[in-house]
Amino acid sequence: MKVSLLFFITGFVLLLFQTTLPRLVPLGPFVPDFALVLCVYLGLNHPTVGAVVGTFLLGYSVDVFSSNILGLNAFALTLVFITAYLSSRAIWVHSPLLSASVVFLASWVKGASLMLLWATFLTMERYGVGSLKYILIDATLAAVLAPALFWALKRGQNYLEQVKMPE
Amino acid sequence: MLSFLRRNQVLFSAFLSVIFSLYIIAPAAKGQHRADPIGPLLMAVMRPLQSAIQSTVFGVRDFFGGYVALRGVAAENERLKARVRELEGEKSRLLEEEATNKRLRELMEFRTEWAPKAITATVIATSASAYFHTLIIDKGRANGVEKGMAVISPLGVIGQVVSVTGRNAKVLLVTDSHSGVDAMVQRSRARGLVSGSLDNGPVMKYVKRSDDLKEGDRLVTSGLDGVFPKGLLIGTVSKVNKKNLGLFQYIEVGLALDPARVEEVLVVRGNTPEIKD
Repeated sequence: MKVSLLFFITGFVLLLFQTTLPRLVPLGPFVPDFALVLCVYLGLNHPTVGAVVGTFLLGYSVDVFSSNILGLNAFALTLVFITAYLSSRAIWVHSPLLSASVVFLASWVKGASLMLLWATFLTMERYGVGSLKYILIDATLAAVLAPALFWALKRGQNYLEQVKMPE
Repeated sequence: MLSFLRRNQVLFSAFLSVIFSLYIIAPAAKGQHRADPIGPLLMAVMRPLQSAIQSTVFGVRDFFGGYVALRGVAAENERLKARVRELEGEKSRLLEEEATNKRLRELMEFRTEWAPKAITATVIATSASAYFHTLIIDKGRANGVEKGMAVISPLGVIGQVVSVTGRNAKVLLVTDSHSGVDAMVQRSRARGLVSGSLDNGPVMKYVKRSDDLKEGDRLVTSGLDGVFPKGLLIGTVSKVNKKNLGLFQYIEVGLALDPARVEEVLVVRGNTPEIKD
């Protein structure tokens, strides 16, 4: 319960930062994707039904602040969660480099799923090499963030799991 | 069966979430939208926090901008360093206030001149995703903002209101790949649609190969989309390519302003009078 609350508050704060802080950093159109990193972390280290609901709500919240069509990020981030969850059965993410690699791949899953949705339902535009470059930069940025955020989340989760509930 | 579901409850619930997401998205393919019960509530909760952070962010950014610019002066005289730092802080604050005053004065003059019914708004949040270019402004339905209204500044086009809550509105920027502004070349009157793209930034689409365009041409709104007033500056043509593109030319656009960096905007209806140069 306490751990779920930790992730809920973390998600809220990260969303707040994600919608306000990018203006301080000259990254052009790119936004540090804290939400993606959190979803990958949940898929790898806290795969519960509550985490699935949290991931969906986080994606939906990103849609509320970003997209003109609701559900796109909810869809993409849930796919990211599934990918991370399935990969957690095969790999054990214990090093910063590995966490960065998983987030990098997850970002590609997100970018590809968004473009697939756009191409299937919403637009007749074609996506070229420039779009791949765009996903690459977004994925690299997310991968850079991953080790620090994974470390902080792991510390918080471990701490709360060790704290005993009052009698 | 029950034990199978229990064993795979995470995957099962995740797939349900995916299907539910598609259910929410589906009407958009037909140009419709489902009711959003969570969005207005979330925006109302986040609004004061975003406003506070955004003010702090601008303050910090402007302070360090001024500080870096003045560091050379401080190095000239070690004895006056402390005093200079103090003055730097003061000057940054004053410069910021002056810049804010200047921006607001320009905005007010622009508004008084041709759009007296325009609504002045402040940007309180930016997009949370690199794939979508949007802004959240601090005015909503309670202030007269409606879906479909144009968002502009004295320097050019910013975007269009795509959703409104009581006290907030979401603006789809002209740099978003799903936006579109009916535009024309000021010199030759050739028309097309300016839109964002993930590939190479903003482009002008559907311009006939026979149309006369060259690099440096100014692009203005045509007013024919019913959203943006006619004659508002969009930007300039930065690249023209007529090769291997069938009926149309490929045109890259340099926007007059970066809409993601604006702090104050005007929200107007499209049927306002033409802007004079």
